Amino acid sequence: MQLELYQIIVPLVSIVFISSLLQRFWAGKSGWQEAMVGVFFWVAVIFFAFFPDLISQTIAEVFGIKSNINAVIFFCLGLIFFFQYKLFLLFKQQQSALTALTRRLALDEEEKQKGQ
Amino acid sequence: MIEPKDILVVIPAYNEGTVIADVVRRVRDEGYPYVLVINDGSADQTCEEARKAGAIVVSHLVNRGAGAGAQTGIAYARKHQIAFIVQIDADGQHYPEDIRGLSDAMEEEKADIVIGSRFMRPNKDIPAIRVIYNKLSNVFTNWFCIRWYSDTQSGFRMLNRTAIETIDLHIDGFGYCSEMIILGEKKGLKIAEVPIRVVYTAYSMSKGQDLYMGINTAMNILWKLVSHPK
Repeated sequence: MQLELYQIIVPLVSIVFISSLLQRFWAGKSGWQEAMVGVFFWVAVIFFAFFPDLISQTIAEVFGIKSNINAVIFFCLGLIFFFQYKLFLLFKQQQSALTALTRRLALDEEEKQKGQ
Repeated sequence: MIEPKDILVVIPAYNEGTVIADVVRRVRDEGYPYVLVINDGSADQTCEEARKAGAIVVSHLVNRGAGAGAQTGIAYARKHQIAFIVQIDADGQHYPEDIRGLSDAMEEEKADIVIGSRFMRPNKDIPAIRVIYNKLSNVFTNWFCIRWYSDTQSGFRMLNRTAIETIDLHIDGFGYCSEMIILGEKKGLKIAEVPIRVVYTAYSMSKGQDLYMGINTAMNILWKLVSHPK
């Protein structure tokens, strides 16, 4: 099997990300669900780099998509929507945190002014 | 009997420097001594004008929206063991004289939340666009409710101690009006409505929601129902 350049680079990058995810998990900085999803994703990327035609054709056959190129496009769109959703969740969390912080500061400030 | 001194009148305000003093004075002249203005990150003189008129002012450092302001009022009432709060709009569209009607209804109907409804009596002064927008909002909000409410978007409301302790608003924007009703019903609070008067001026019309904000509000309510179902 002759390896293309991307088939060396992509797995190496993926391994770096997997080791980083595992380090975060062992350091207690992330939960097991986050670590598992991340490792699964990057292992899938490694497999995809090694067997791009086989995987894309299998996805196309399973979902009834006409060509493997279309399957790759749909798969990427799905990924983009997933990451968009994750970003939206993060945005909402940050908004809630900002509101809670603003409220706390406002009430504390009022209390301070009353005490003066 | 609910006495005016037992009521904290909460006015969330954002850039209302030209009208806030008049609104605060009208409330105080009506015999309600405790007025709390939630200055929601205003860039104008809202804070100073409200203080000069005799209100207590709690200031958000940054603008967080009408719902965030309303919840800050609730948090203040919780912290200071306030028995009743009345929320009114800062743009001067509500009549402080109508607070009496809300407190009477709260006693008579033993309600936890009383909503001042603009649509229980025919009112030709409400602009047609506002009527359409509010009717659409009613259909949307009442879809998630057990009872039918005639004015789900009214900012004129009264909450008793039980409601103050129970209600936790998560929507920062205008969607809080719907959220409070849906949440109140879920928590088993009794919600009543009484008719109120309202005056629309060019100023208050410029402060309301437009179509884009309405759609955004609906999306926020749907998201809230998905993310915080209880």
